[in-house]
Parts: sequence; C-alpha cells; structure tokens
Amino acid sequence: MKTLGTDYTKALVPATAADISCAQQSTFDWLASRFPLDQDPLAKLSTSAIVRREDLHEVVQALRDTPEFAYDMLIDIIGIDYLNYPGHQGPRFAVTYLFKSMRFAAHRFQLKVLVDEEDLVVPSLHDLFHIANWAEREVWDLFGIRFEGHPNMKRLLNHFEFVGHPLRKDYPAQKRQWLSTNDPLLDQLEARLRENGMELIDPIPLNTPAVEDVIKGSRR
Amino acid sequence: MSAEIENSPVPQQEAATLPFLTTSLDAVINWGRSNSLWPFPFATACCAIEFMSLMSARYDFARFGTEFMRFTPRQSDLLMIMGTVTYKQAPILRRIYEQMSAPRWVIAVGACASSGGFYDSYCTVPGIDHIIPVDVFIAGCPPRPEAYIEAAVQLQEKIKDESFLTERLARLRDRGEDLPS
Amino acid sequence: MRVLDRTGEKLDLLTVNIGPSHPATHGSLRIICGLEGETIKAAVAEIGYLHRGFEKMVERGTYQQVMPYTDRLNYCSAILNNIAFSKAVESMFEIQITERCKVLRVLMSEFTRIVDHLICVAAALADLGAQTAYFYYFVPREDAMIILEKLTGARLTNSFSRIGGLYRDTYEGFETDVLDFLKKTEESLSDVFKLVDRNRIFLDRTQGIGCITPELAISYGWTGPCLRATGVDRDLRKDQPYFDYQTYDFDTIVGTRGDTYDRLMVRLFEAKESISIVRQAIKRLKPGPINVSDPRVSQPQHEFAYHDMEALINRFKLVYEGVRVPQGEHYDALEAANGELGFFITSDGTGNPWRIKVRPPCLTQFAAFHNLVEGGMVSDAIACLSSINIIAGELDR
Ligand code: SF4
Repeated sequence: MKTLGTDYTKALVPATAADISCAQQSTFDWLASRFPLDQDPLAKLSTSAIVRREDLHEVVQALRDTPEFAYDMLIDIIGIDYLNYPGHQGPRFAVTYLFKSMRFAAHRFQLKVLVDEEDLVVPSLHDLFHIANWAEREVWDLFGIRFEGHPNMKRLLNHFEFVGHPLRKDYPAQKRQWLSTNDPLLDQLEARLRENGMELIDPIPLNTPAVEDVIKGSRR
Repeated sequence: MSAEIENSPVPQQEAATLPFLTTSLDAVINWGRSNSLWPFPFATACCAIEFMSLMSARYDFARFGTEFMRFTPRQSDLLMIMGTVTYKQAPILRRIYEQMSAPRWVIAVGACASSGGFYDSYCTVPGIDHIIPVDVFIAGCPPRPEAYIEAAVQLQEKIKDESFLTERLARLRDRGEDLPS
Repeated sequence: MRVLDRTGEKLDLLTVNIGPSHPATHGSLRIICGLEGETIKAAVAEIGYLHRGFEKMVERGTYQQVMPYTDRLNYCSAILNNIAFSKAVESMFEIQITERCKVLRVLMSEFTRIVDHLICVAAALADLGAQTAYFYYFVPREDAMIILEKLTGARLTNSFSRIGGLYRDTYEGFETDVLDFLKKTEESLSDVFKLVDRNRIFLDRTQGIGCITPELAISYGWTGPCLRATGVDRDLRKDQPYFDYQTYDFDTIVGTRGDTYDRLMVRLFEAKESISIVRQAIKRLKPGPINVSDPRVSQPQHEFAYHDMEALINRFKLVYEGVRVPQGEHYDALEAANGELGFFITSDGTGNPWRIKVRPPCLTQFAAFHNLVEGGMVSDAIACLSSINIIAGELDR
C-alpha cells in the first residue's frame, strides 16, 4: 500500500462544519476538472459526486493518493435501491462510497455510482482498501450487486443457502429461509493458506459428522 | 434405603437406632437434579449482557445451584438461550441441544428467543420452540436479572414434578424395549 | 491437511473451528483456523450469526420507531447509539438542539462510554483468566444500571434520546448519584489497574500480541480506541467537534504498538478521561428546556394539545406519520465507544425512512482479525478477540 507519509501521531486542527463543506467543494471541483461527473442531487447537505462506473477505480485512487486530499480511509460502502422512490429517474440501484482523510480533519467525501438493474456490476476496490473486501460482500449479499475483480464474492451476513437479496425493496421482509447445515468454510481457508504462501498437497478432509449421526448418538 | 443399611458395616442393632428417612426415589433424584443445574449459556445478543450482571456480585445466580457454567453441552443439563437466534444460528443450536445428554432442560430468555421479539424479519427464527422444546420462557427485552432467577426457581419446581422411572420407561418403550425384570 | 510452506517444508496442519458457540466468541463469531501445533497459520472469520435485519426492519416504521432498534446495535452503550441516530436525523433537519440537551447528551455519552469500556475490559480480563476484574468492575456497573434505570426506565436498552432532544429531564438527585458512581468507578479502575499493571502473566499474554501497523489499520477503516492504540491520534470528538466537545478539557489516549495490551490500556485510560468529562458536564448543567420547540420534530406540550387545534393536529400528525425528514441523503457520525458510529439516511420526504445504513465500528476491526492472529498461538487469538471488543449486535446488525 502506498502511504503519503502522514504523521499520524500528531493531532489535527479541529474542523468546523464550514471547513468540511469547503473541503468537499474543492475536492469536487478538482475531480470535475479531471473526470466527467455530476453533482448528486440527493445529497442536499454536502457536495458529492456521481461518477461513471468505469472511472470509479481511477477516481478513488486519485483521491487516495493525491497529497492535498489524502482520502485514505474508506468509511463504508452503501447500496441503495430506488425502486419507486418518489421522483427518481434513472438506474434502480446506487452504490455510495464514503471516504475520510486521516491527514486533514475536514476531509470527508461521498461518491456515488449508479447501477442499472440489467447490468449489476461495479468495479471492486479491494486492492485500494482492505475493508472493501467485506463491505463489498455485504452489498452483494443484501442487494445483489456484483463487484468485478473481487476475490471472494460470497455472502457476508446471510447464510449460503439464502436465495434472493433481502434489502431490495421487492423482497418481503418476512420471507424466511431455513438453513440445513452451516458453511464448512474450507474453500476460504484454502484460499487464505495460498495467500499466505502455502501450497496445498491434499485437500482438507470434510469430517463434519452429519446431523443425523449426532441425533442418534445423543439417544444412546 | 433400608437394604443399604442392612449391608452397611454398622452393626445391625446400632443401625436401627440411627436416624433415617424414607422417601421416594424420585424425590431424592429430583432434589439433586433441581439444585445443581449446570447451565450452558448459549449467549448471542443483548440478553447475554444481563446474564453477565446476573453472574456478578449483586444478583449472584450461584445461590440457586447454578454455580457451574459449562461451556460444553455434554456436561450441562440446562440450556439457556439468551438472545436472537437467526436462521444461520439455528442448525448450531439444534446440534448443541442434541449433544446434551438427558435429562436436559431449556430456558428461552427474552423476547427474541421466545418469539423472535421485534425482529420479525427474514433472518430471525420466530421463537426457538420451532427448533427445540422449551421448558421455561422469560419475557422481557432484556428481562431483568430477577426474572432470570424466577425462571430458575420455576424450573426447579417443574423438575420436582418429574418422575425418573416413568421417564426412563418411556424412553425404553420408545426403543421397543422394556424394563429389566 | 498437508501443505508446503514458503521454504518448501512440509507441514501437517490441523483444521480447527472456533465458535460460534464458544465462550470467547460471544456466541456469534466464527473463526476457522489451520494450526501447526498451536500456531495459527491461516485464519478465516465468518460473521452474520446475529444478522437480525436491522436495516430492513427500520424501513417499516417511523423515524422515532428506529430508536429502540438502535439500542440493540451496541447493547453495551445503548444511549450512545440513540444519540448518534438522533444527531444524524437532526443534521438532516439542520436544527440546533438546546444548550441543556447538548450538555446532557455529552454527559450521557461519556457515562455510557465508561460503562462500555468497563464491560469490554472486564470481559477481556475474564477471557484471560483474571476473573477478579470482572467482579470488581461489575460493582460500579450495577450502580450505573441503577442510575440509568432511574433516568430512563430501562437497564440496558434505554431509548433515551429523541429527535430534537431527550426523552426526559434528569431526576432529582441525579448529579449526586452520578458523582457517586464516578468515585466508585475511579476506585475500581485503579484497583484493577494495580492488579494488572505489573502482573507478569497479564503482560506476557498481551504485550506484543496481535500487533497491527497504523497503515494497515487505516486501510481496514479502524477507528476509535483500537486505532488510537496503534498510535494514530484521531478522535472525532477532537477533529470534528460536535455538541461543543471542543470546550471540554480532555486528552486523547494514544498507544504505541497497537497490540492487545495497548488496546486494553487505551480503554482503561479513556474511561478515566470520560470521568473527567462527566464531571465537567455536571458543572455546566443549567436549567433550561431539553427539547427544541420546532413543530417539525417535537410534540407540543400537553396543555397546548388539549386547548389548541393546531397543536392537536401537530401532535396527531407526529404520532401517526412520524417525523417527516426532508428528502435527501446524508451521513453523520460521532465517536462511539468502539469508534466512528455513523448513520447514512436516505429519506423520501415521508415519515418512514427509505434506507438507513449503520456504519458499525466493529465490522472494520473484525475484518482485520486474521491479520492480528496469524502467526500467533490460539490462546493469543482469544486475548486478541476480546481486546477489539466485538459487539455482535453492531457487527451483524
Ligand atoms: S430480547 Fe431484546 S434484549 Fe434480548 S436479545 Fe432480543 S432484542 Fe436483545
């Protein structure tokens, strides 16, 4: 990871609300001079940008690596479903990214990508921010938006037998889904071992006793 | 009990003068069982924080014989479910219950475990009685520590009404066997 | 399972599953690790065992009905969550809360922060085998529960805050109760500190265990005491002051190495700072209104509602339709006990929220968990887990 040499041990100069909106405006202007983007009409209290999907990775990298902005913390990734939102036109889904800087107290910025229902794909940011890995899995789980290039696009919160994406507006809140057994997670462990530079000779044996055996065992 | 006294090393005449009690087997066993419940805290959510209060000095749950917290289902006979049980958690709860050896009792603590509480959603089990049988339900979100204590006392009352022999007989009959004569 | 490691050596690894029903994983976290002997070679964490559908549930009610759900996010410090949520909604209205409300909110936030840190450190020490600290800490904590009960009517899930104010004013004798609690807390804090300060076992089990560099922690989005333990001097109360935090005199506590010891000690000392903030806040408490008199958010008083037509309609509307938040999207955060707790609210202009997303501070910390424990022992993993204070309600929502 590239670092900008920020001295984290030094306390920051406190920022007021005016500073924050000023910083947002200057970030927006700087971005607008480089990338095609719109101002988000819904973010009424802040200046935030709607970027094109194909620019997203580049925009975020620029925000993170430019010393005068240094948005080096990804606060959260938020999926939103605008199905039947009053007065909403355009794509049904949106993914919002929140950033914050550890270098300047006033720096907070918000980016949005609009995603069409037919083509639910957004570039992944997992190579820029570690937290993007889980945050993107969560959005995939709850909204079904896929992140291109993500190493492990699995559900994060719901179980692996779950069908559908619960936070979409057309998913009934009470549609319950039972789970039979838990995910053994062995594929993820194998992937992690490989990431740590190990090579598997034989696969991990799956020796979880079937639930039936356990039931029989306890009767004895 | 008298058979035991006959075989005891104490001379017969002396044994007759020793004070002794006669009682039913059920009463003795239930007395033991109800006063030494070993809980397995299946703690998932907020109700578990109140359980921490319960175990601390002011409420001192140990006064009711539930001194020994056991974190393995095989050594415990009281399963306390504190907190929301989700569908992801459900197979685990079921398995823990199956791993407990009989006799076993279950207390569902709080609104969530009893009925799903106000999480009437796609991912919460609407009451753990969908998965396992429950002996005592406690209301509250979270229940006060006193309510936990009351549940324990109620469970003790319940245990005192159980019959060891009929229970065993029923289990044998289940398997198609009968009591050895 | 057998693997070849980087040097080409053949290792025989054992796969061990820890949790979710394990005393140290708080019933709702699951870690699966590949062990060589007792050393963790690879670890994978799974969450979601307490995913209760917060974000779906809140879409069905009004904004005020979100309040009880926020209680159950971080259930160790419920009032902080309430305040965070009402602050987010207030910022969408752009209303200024009253002076007394500000002071009371600071007071209650710091009060619950103390309680949260007490529980975290007590549980962490109990996981390390030091049960004594747990009993020491739960004495003042029970006092805190009594104060909260007197003030809010509930022990744990308080729902104390309201949009534009608080549920109610303090009761008579509140200040002396709180001061009493602070004194007891200080005593038990120093008692436990004496127990662990030079304790060889404690030091060996925590120092140098589960280290993380500031850069990695920032990339994982860590905030709050865990980030400060790595030496990063960032605190929302200082950097973007809200509720006039800039006028209170307190220090940010910063660690040096980002290990388990630093994380626990930062919490211990932060609790001390919070005690001093509560004392300052008590001195500032002046009589005055606690709710804003804005018809958009606060209900008119009973006298008006009974005698005045407009007030009656206003009250009726607020109860049945809820607070009608202006259309738009906004993110607002404050420094909770675990770090930056934020709410991202999308409103469609009606009384029901369109979407509320919580930014849980725990999630970011647990996402980095495998980096903390790999290379260490299993028992270190347990120490590490309790030091990052994972609250499942907030983690899985
Ligand atoms: S009953 Fe209430 S306090 Fe208990 S787990 Fe459920 S929500 Fe939490």
